[in-house]
Amino acid sequence: MKIQHMGFNQKFLALAFLAAFGSAHADDDELTQLIKPDSTVVSVGAGTVSGDSKDRTVFSQYNGWRKNDASLLLDFNLIRRDEATGFWTRAEGRNIGLDNRELRFSQQKQGDWKYSAEYSELVRHDPRTINTNLLGAGTSTPTVVNLATPGTGSDLNLDLKRKGLTLSAEKWLTSNLLFEASFKNENKDGARLSGIGNYCSNVIGSLINTCAGTTGALLMLPEPINSTTRQFEVRLNYSGDSLTLNGGYYGSFFTNANGSLTPSVSGNWGPFTALEPGPTLGGLLTRPLALPPDNQAHQLYFAGNYAFTPKMRATFKVAYTHATQNEDFGSVGLAGAPAGVGGLGGVMDTTLAQLGFSGRPLAAAPKLSVNANWRYENKKDKTPLAAYSDNGVAPYTPGLATNASRSSEKANGKLEATYQLPDNYRATLGVDYAYVHRNRPVDSATIPAASFTALREETEELGYRAELRRSMSETLNAGISYGQSKRDGDQWLQLVAGYPANAINAPLGTAPMTMMDRQRDKLKLSADWMPTSALSLQFMLEDGTDKYSGPVGKGLHDSGMRSYGVDAVLTLSDAWKLTGYVNRGEQTLHMDHNAGYILALDNVNTSVGVGVVGKPSANFELGADLSYMDDSNRYNQSMATGAAIVDGLPDVTYRVTSLKLFGKYALDKTADIRVDLVHQSAKFNEWTWGNAGVPFAYSDNTTVGMQPNQSVTFLGARYIYKFK
Amino acid sequence: MVGLYFFSPATAALAAEGSVPVAAKKDDATTGLVLNGDAKCTACHDEGDGPELMAIGKTRHGTRADSRTPSCISCHGKTEKHLAKKGTVKPDITYGRKSTSTAEERSGACLACHQKDAKRSHWAGSVHDARDVACSSCHKIHVAKDDVRDKRTEAEVCFTCHKEQRAQVSKPSHHPIMEGKVACSDCHNAHGSVGPKLMTRDSVNDTCYTCHMEKRGPFVHSHQPVDEDCSNCHNPHGTTAESLLKTRAPFLCHSCHTTPHSSPQPAVLAGPAPAVPHWSNGPVITQGRACLNCHTQIHGSNNPSGLSPTPQRLFR
Repeated sequence: MKIQHMGFNQKFLALAFLAAFGSAHADDDELTQLIKPDSTVVSVGAGTVSGDSKDRTVFSQYNGWRKNDASLLLDFNLIRRDEATGFWTRAEGRNIGLDNRELRFSQQKQGDWKYSAEYSELVRHDPRTINTNLLGAGTSTPTVVNLATPGTGSDLNLDLKRKGLTLSAEKWLTSNLLFEASFKNENKDGARLSGIGNYCSNVIGSLINTCAGTTGALLMLPEPINSTTRQFEVRLNYSGDSLTLNGGYYGSFFTNANGSLTPSVSGNWGPFTALEPGPTLGGLLTRPLALPPDNQAHQLYFAGNYAFTPKMRATFKVAYTHATQNEDFGSVGLAGAPAGVGGLGGVMDTTLAQLGFSGRPLAAAPKLSVNANWRYENKKDKTPLAAYSDNGVAPYTPGLATNASRSSEKANGKLEATYQLPDNYRATLGVDYAYVHRNRPVDSATIPAASFTALREETEELGYRAELRRSMSETLNAGISYGQSKRDGDQWLQLVAGYPANAINAPLGTAPMTMMDRQRDKLKLSADWMPTSALSLQFMLEDGTDKYSGPVGKGLHDSGMRSYGVDAVLTLSDAWKLTGYVNRGEQTLHMDHNAGYILALDNVNTSVGVGVVGKPSANFELGADLSYMDDSNRYNQSMATGAAIVDGLPDVTYRVTSLKLFGKYALDKTADIRVDLVHQSAKFNEWTWGNAGVPFAYSDNTTVGMQPNQSVTFLGARYIYKFK
Repeated sequence: MVGLYFFSPATAALAAEGSVPVAAKKDDATTGLVLNGDAKCTACHDEGDGPELMAIGKTRHGTRADSRTPSCISCHGKTEKHLAKKGTVKPDITYGRKSTSTAEERSGACLACHQKDAKRSHWAGSVHDARDVACSSCHKIHVAKDDVRDKRTEAEVCFTCHKEQRAQVSKPSHHPIMEGKVACSDCHNAHGSVGPKLMTRDSVNDTCYTCHMEKRGPFVHSHQPVDEDCSNCHNPHGTTAESLLKTRAPFLCHSCHTTPHSSPQPAVLAGPAPAVPHWSNGPVITQGRACLNCHTQIHGSNNPSGLSPTPQRLFR
């Protein structure tokens, strides 16, 4: 709290004098500057980055600096407020010279109405570079051309550009009734890494052994993206003394200009040789690949809260969503639908209900607060079943194998009680519950085609937690919490094609991690400590383990996480402040696989940062941030049989060091000069697309790579002018 | 222009002498230096005493033409003792690190007005409410620009508590959070929601679909964990594995699928690339897109064909 400058009585008397005989004109300009928002600020300058585009693929995934070595730096911000009417006008532009530019405009009469429009661009530049002979990359009809030697093709960089327009408006109809409407349209254009692969083998099963020979092949085929998402929402809000209600409609619509991807092949090579007998592997790989279909969802909802007393409140929501997918297979180039079926006719209806209570329910126990919440979601998959895998190959008896029905029910509840103890301690005990019922996707006559999975129709999880925290201390706030939960479920079903449709079989080992028995333990400690008025420290420790148990002892065994760190802020003076942090996170994952390998994955992440901001003089501000992150992944693998590991997996490490500096000098009251310098050094040692100099090559010798050591420096200078 | 027209000299004199209980006087909404009816407070806390406090005038709270806007006492309480004892004791409700006011008191001052907003209808009982995170823990009121309401600076405010996420957003696969294009609040409603993890929409998937609607389907052949929860496989804050995957394929896939492709063990190329990729080669299920080299439509396939490469295996 600031200390007042003059005595209370003197001040009041002076103000009273002024009130009676005139206003303080001498202070008007200063005061106006302090309390009026009106400003127009334009920032213009130029920036440049070092190296070529391959030196900065990690740095410039999203920030607009991948392709340009230099660019215009232009931002502006305009704010106007009419004091008499409360009429605001705002206009803002950010990154105008870059490919992640944004423009925003809004006007409002505060407390009456408001509208806004926002335009935004964002390009995601895939950090990897593809070397290929593929023609028509990013179209729905690319042509695969074999590359004689890996690395001798053309470089291809995949980008995905988003252009979004958001319009919103609101109007207070009465002092208690607010109408809101918003519309968002986003176009996505570009391509992302994808592909197709197949293997002619009778090992996997006859259902895919429809080609001759014993060869396999992979093709890199970028997924063409030319789609639009639209979201429209209208809502009416009522707010009374005790009751607030809101109800509305939310519609979301996806349209894709590309319904399928059908590659062709130039020449005879590899899997595409004319010598391949019968239905060739090459022929299979040029069959159409389905792209995401148009879909839409309509939701009606009703929500709000009610205050029973000033200390006891309920929240609630009910919502009904009708989602459909009706894309016509034929019109997007997809053949092979069952007779009489033009499209999936997908319908998913979801009902949601939530009710919560929180507050102090007992007047006789004002130190006791209770928090309870129940959420229920029911998804009904009303999509008609049809025999989509009616290929006549055993075990797919015609009419037996269908699309899957994904109906489900979920319920989540919690009940917690908190008691205010002496000395500002608060103790909380809580119980959490989760329930999932997955409809068994079979009936007496059919089985879903994609059924190589185990299923548990029901899983339940019950957990408890205890927490003790101390707050409202000027120097030390701290908390400790511990929780444990256990999940189990009913019998395991194995829905394997070839078995009687609704048989209950001993699972073969495919046990989804979301359904396995699990015990979760979690401990968390945190403390905020201010040993002096200038120094504040924040400590954090979190430890958790998940232990899994499947039907046959294979699969996920356990996982763990531990995170701990310290943050510090040291205020040296009104002009200088230092910050720092160090954090370490550890994650482990252990699993057994039926193939006989045992995996122990360890991830260790260490991050350190220091920063300083200061004002050496009235006209000069500066700041610096230095951060370092080391992320190491170890893939320890062994064979359960004791056999040797062949070509085991090296560690994957990612290290990034960033230095950010800025200086801002005020030329006068209306103009500043700002200079920014950012240096980033990244080292990515991994084997995803190659190992020890051996590239992972597609069948046409397409390769994918990224410069493992990247170093980039950005330098930008801006002139900032504040119009009067 | 705002003039210094407070209350009459007589009233001022009486107030200064303490002979009239200050709180008993009704603020005149038309008076004040910065906020409606702030005269009692700005008599001391003016631009000379606390120029930084004046910036509230630049905000919506300081839009005095809007009759709903607060006065100082709306947030700090009537503070009778503070006024009567000339500032030697603190106001009824204080904010900031050294505040002795409870989180309930601090948030209560804000919710008196802002509870009406549909976006805050589920604050009561939300995890932030239950953990004593007050509005002022994240929001700054006496500034022209609140960091947590600007997507370029919002994440830094959230990282004050969420340290693990601070490290994750700097990993190579990440949403453009530090680039200022995606904010925490695009996915999380810190003021409470019906969804888990304070998701802005009713579920994790519904929130993801707002940008990734192509994953919604329904598809002819779906993938059960995809339908259930995107976060079964993805960590949206950032990962070292590509595509925000929690763990690389095949290990992520093997978390559920322990039986397929029974013979190979995960391996990397250690010599010349094989002329023909073979599914039973370790590298083909480990490198490149790993399992997704063939199971490319992992989010679901709408291909009605039953022919190989079989869409029911999410091959195409």
